[in-house]
Amino acid sequence: FSAISQSTMPAYKLYYFSIRGLGEVPRQILALADVKFENVGITKEQWPEFKSKTPFGQMPVLEVDGKQIPQSFAIARYVASQHGLAGKTPFEAAWVDALADQYKDFNNDFKKFFYLVLGFGEGDLEAAKLEHGIPARDKFFPLVVKQLKSNGTGFLVGDSVTWVDVLYAEGSSRVAHEVPGFLDDYPEVLEHAKKIHAIPQIKKWIEARPV
Amino acid sequence: SKSEMPSYKLNYFDARGYAEVSRQLFVLSDTPYEDNRIPRDQWPELKKTMPFGNIPVLEVDGKQLPQSLAIARYLAKQFGFYGKTAFESAWVDAIADQFKDCLTEIRPFLFVAKSDGNEAEKERMKKEVALPAIEKHFGLLEKAAKNNGANGHFVGESLTFVDLLVSDFVGTFEAFLPGFSAPYPAVTSIRAKTIATPKIKEWIAKRNVTPT
Repeated sequence: FSAISQSTMPAYKLYYFSIRGLGEVPRQILALADVKFENVGITKEQWPEFKSKTPFGQMPVLEVDGKQIPQSFAIARYVASQHGLAGKTPFEAAWVDALADQYKDFNNDFKKFFYLVLGFGEGDLEAAKLEHGIPARDKFFPLVVKQLKSNGTGFLVGDSVTWVDVLYAEGSSRVAHEVPGFLDDYPEVLEHAKKIHAIPQIKKWIEARPV
Repeated sequence: SKSEMPSYKLNYFDARGYAEVSRQLFVLSDTPYEDNRIPRDQWPELKKTMPFGNIPVLEVDGKQLPQSLAIARYLAKQFGFYGKTAFESAWVDAIADQFKDCLTEIRPFLFVAKSDGNEAEKERMKKEVALPAIEKHFGLLEKAAKNNGANGHFVGESLTFVDLLVSDFVGTFEAFLPGFSAPYPAVTSIRAKTIATPKIKEWIAKRNVTPT
């Protein structure tokens, strides 16, 4: 039973560059929640002017009936919490948050290698792989495998999909695609991404997305 | 009732750092908790018992929860310091994440600044690391505070955990970068209002004094 009729649903607009990056996880969560939203791609030319209209000079930004929310995790959690995608109990929701922040810690180090892989910035790719890529991977992914095994449901937390499953699946599948073989020692992680990306709403989004 | 309240244990170093916001949430809500401060020499062994090998870790009836902001948000939700609407909560989260980016950038400076000697390195890191991080992030925090009406809170009309989080670190930064907050009066007034809150004021007067 839903007390919210179509006419009282808020109007969502998600603003980001026309790449996956930090916008992809909010987009997938909106898709997973079956929420209609306008996916606005800001071009490099439009960005300087639009930047001054954002709260923190950054994207993604979610507009909800014209009011803006910045920061990709705040956006993801906001949408997820309203659609049963943030854990079934407060403690589960907290573990979803903890796993998301642990991913962010991993990425803060890993991106020193991964951004070079994607063609951003300058540096010695092989050196960055040895100094940042491999150590960050081998510190983080054993923890992910441990969490998946101890939770035992195929999801990271609880017995149904949460926004952190979407985050991890996007991250791991992107890495595996851009650096072939890089996650071969972590088959459970690749399985997890496959499972999440097979969820109908996400599968449909991935098939239809522009990038 | 007392029998229904879970038992809480907060594990961290003898420091304020990433645990202090949660200590203050317990204090504000008059919730008893064990404030477990791990001596540095015990850490290598205890590290292996933590879910992600890091602290703070909160134990709720013995069940572990890692990551400082996940802990703070969990407690803030329970105790009523997470905004009054879902939209306000999203803004508490957004400002907290923005501030965490600042902490990540400034951490190498704090590490050097609180160690003995090496004044030249401290000065270099102040110029190359700390001041740029402050300028980038505190401008945004000031804007957020002003957009909220410069009312002594980052979000809404009452205290949220991001007021506690930022206020304590402003105190830390002030010790290593005296006068840094002068260009940020709305943020400064959030700190002033937060630390004047009676239970927080009382806690600050009695807590262990630590550099960070």
